[in-house]
Amino acid sequence: MIEEYDVVVVGAGFAGPVAAKKCAEAGLKTLMLERSENPGEKVISGLTIPIYGFLFGPAFIRDGNPPIERPVDGIKNYVIYDIKAGDIDTVELRIPRPLSPIFAFGYNAYCKPFIAWEVDQAVKAGAELRTSTTAMDVIEEDGRIKGIVTDRGDRIRAKVVINCEGSQGILAVKAGVREKYPPEAISLADTYDYECPREVIDRVFGYTLRFCWGFDEQMIAPPLGHGNGLMSWPYRNSIHWMQDQCLSLDGGQVPNLRKLFDEYHENITTQLPWWRDEIAPSARLRARMWEGFEIFAGLDDRLRNMPNYTDGMILVGDAAGLESTGLCDGVPAAWFSADIAADTAIEAIKANDTSAGFLKRYDRRIKAHPIIQWTITCRGRWDLRKAQESHDRKELRARVDHQFGPGLLTHLGTPLTKSILEWLRKDPTVITKWVRMFLRYYHNWENEGSSRENLPGQPKKRGTLDITLALFDALGKLLSPLTLVVVWLLEPLTVAVNPLTKALHPLIELILSASIKMEPVFRPLTRWISNRVKQADPTIFDATKF
Amino acid sequence: MVRKSERFPGVEWVGETGAFIKIDDKKCTGCGNCLRVCLGRCFEIENKLARIKSLDECMECAACWYVCGDGAIDFAWPPGGTGYRSDWG
Ligand SMILES: Cc1cc2nc3c(=O)[nH]c(=O)nc-3n(C[C@H](O)[C@H](O)[C@H](O)COP(=O)(O)OP(=O)(O)OC[C@H]3O[C@@H](n4cnc5c(N)ncnc54)[C@H](O)[C@@H]3O)c2cc1C
Ligand code: SF4
Ligand code: SF4
Repeated sequence: MIEEYDVVVVGAGFAGPVAAKKCAEAGLKTLMLERSENPGEKVISGLTIPIYGFLFGPAFIRDGNPPIERPVDGIKNYVIYDIKAGDIDTVELRIPRPLSPIFAFGYNAYCKPFIAWEVDQAVKAGAELRTSTTAMDVIEEDGRIKGIVTDRGDRIRAKVVINCEGSQGILAVKAGVREKYPPEAISLADTYDYECPREVIDRVFGYTLRFCWGFDEQMIAPPLGHGNGLMSWPYRNSIHWMQDQCLSLDGGQVPNLRKLFDEYHENITTQLPWWRDEIAPSARLRARMWEGFEIFAGLDDRLRNMPNYTDGMILVGDAAGLESTGLCDGVPAAWFSADIAADTAIEAIKANDTSAGFLKRYDRRIKAHPIIQWTITCRGRWDLRKAQESHDRKELRARVDHQFGPGLLTHLGTPLTKSILEWLRKDPTVITKWVRMFLRYYHNWENEGSSRENLPGQPKKRGTLDITLALFDALGKLLSPLTLVVVWLLEPLTVAVNPLTKALHPLIELILSASIKMEPVFRPLTRWISNRVKQADPTIFDATKF
Repeated sequence: MVRKSERFPGVEWVGETGAFIKIDDKKCTGCGNCLRVCLGRCFEIENKLARIKSLDECMECAACWYVCGDGAIDFAWPPGGTGYRSDWG
């Protein structure tokens, strides 16, 4: 059977629905193909989606009610010099109370419900979804991609194929858009999901991720593979846990992961004091899965510059190698690139030109995106490896600080400020949407509702928060012209943010640690704010009316 | 048809996937890389060549495909709606 669409989106993971929704809203006949029976059930992830994904990502996610498992306020790193002797240092980067947990560093989620929610939004916007359908090959005519052949033998013609198939890129490789990534670019992530009572997680983790890094022989993670460690994520009633290892060691040798992952998992769960004493007694293993991701592709010039488009096809998210080497977060770049791909496809179809020459603007926009470029090129995690080998305590601590501690600001500062200013330039009142997002997400989380419709009980009466938000909106609108002037003045100075944070690093560290120490003082205020948000009428967080 | 595994809780395998991963005997050098990275223990070595023992616990991660430097592994996704799935990814 031959069918005709304007756009076919391959893969309904994190990126696919974002692209499909935008194309459908632009009036394009859009089809999403997903190989799993239910969207999201084949996607394996961490998962903390860092805040920049929500701030600068698709508006429907920022202004919506996606299902989240817990807000995250930062990272507590355990730097393990000698696990048996308990010689363990900590490095912490987090938003202090009373800002946290409402003003979050990111949000944790399970892939399946989050992706299902995204897909739902795309379908409501008019995109068609076909599950249990694998795109096996492309239709190629006159050297251009003209559509997709499915495993059911259907031939689906499309003006543009937006390929969101994930990191393996089987279709992209088969269609000759890019090459298969070498094992040096891939890390295999061994993932565990533990059920654990909420009180225990609240007490031990709070809202903070826990990462562990150690010298090789500490067996915190497989020893020979470039900045490895253990990452654990607190969810609502569960803990997600991941150790990962590059598939190729220096010298090209392939590690025996079958053996190593079991050894290291056993080692860390029985020896790491806080896991062994505080978590293990009440945790139960619920699931174990693994998946590969291309976290080192962006560090190699050749791999990073492999084509991400061809006549009739655009590669998005992990399929385009946009998985982050920095914080191991691929979702923000998947969302950003899906948005850009949809814009490009819409423009191309309107111009009646879906050739590579036209689609090249997609690549230009990806390369000009400050956060995408930062996430795929920052070397911190890779360089951590050297310190794990060198056995230099100071060096190891400094490397952890640089990538996962306060030092992060010395390289994320510029791209982050650039993006904030760019968004303010486009919409000077966007701050009110951002603030509402933080409040709405927290409200949803506390009320265990993933959507407003599901919230238990009746809306509460309006109060101080409502008035504050109304004032805030009015102020935002009033000051819009001034905001634009400030943005215009600051934009040329963004390059100075990284050097400035570098120069002020000791001071920033001091302020952060002092504010964390001061937290007990703010406990009553934090509780007061949290309760206000928790009990508010959810309609006051609606950002769609602006 | 739904299968579960004791070793890997929280995951199900549905339907008939067929042999979606294949090894080309002419290209396989018996290097054992696929065995080393496959956490699902899907491979074994027989007569100095790799062989698929069973794809029953395959998580479709493609690690075997990445590490086979000799291009002996042909990797394709199983038919739509079959293979592994989990609520906890
Ligand atoms: C263990 C692990 C931990 C991670 N931790 C984090 C984290 O903490 N934060 C973060 O932001 N990111 C994290 N990531 C990365 C993140 O999961 C990915 O970057 C993200 O899923 C990429 O989105 P995507 O849409 O490009 O691909 P995916 O989400 O992988 O979606 C691809 C979809 O396409 C479908 N598909 C594939 N091929 C076909 C085909 N031929 N036909 C039809 N359908 C097809 C798949 O079934 C899937 O649903 C992690 C990844 C892993 C593996
Ligand atoms: S990795 Fe490839 S060449 Fe090596 S044993 Fe496996 S199939 Fe054979
Ligand atoms: S895809 Fe992964 S789990 Fe499946 S056989 Fe290959 S290495 Fe093993």
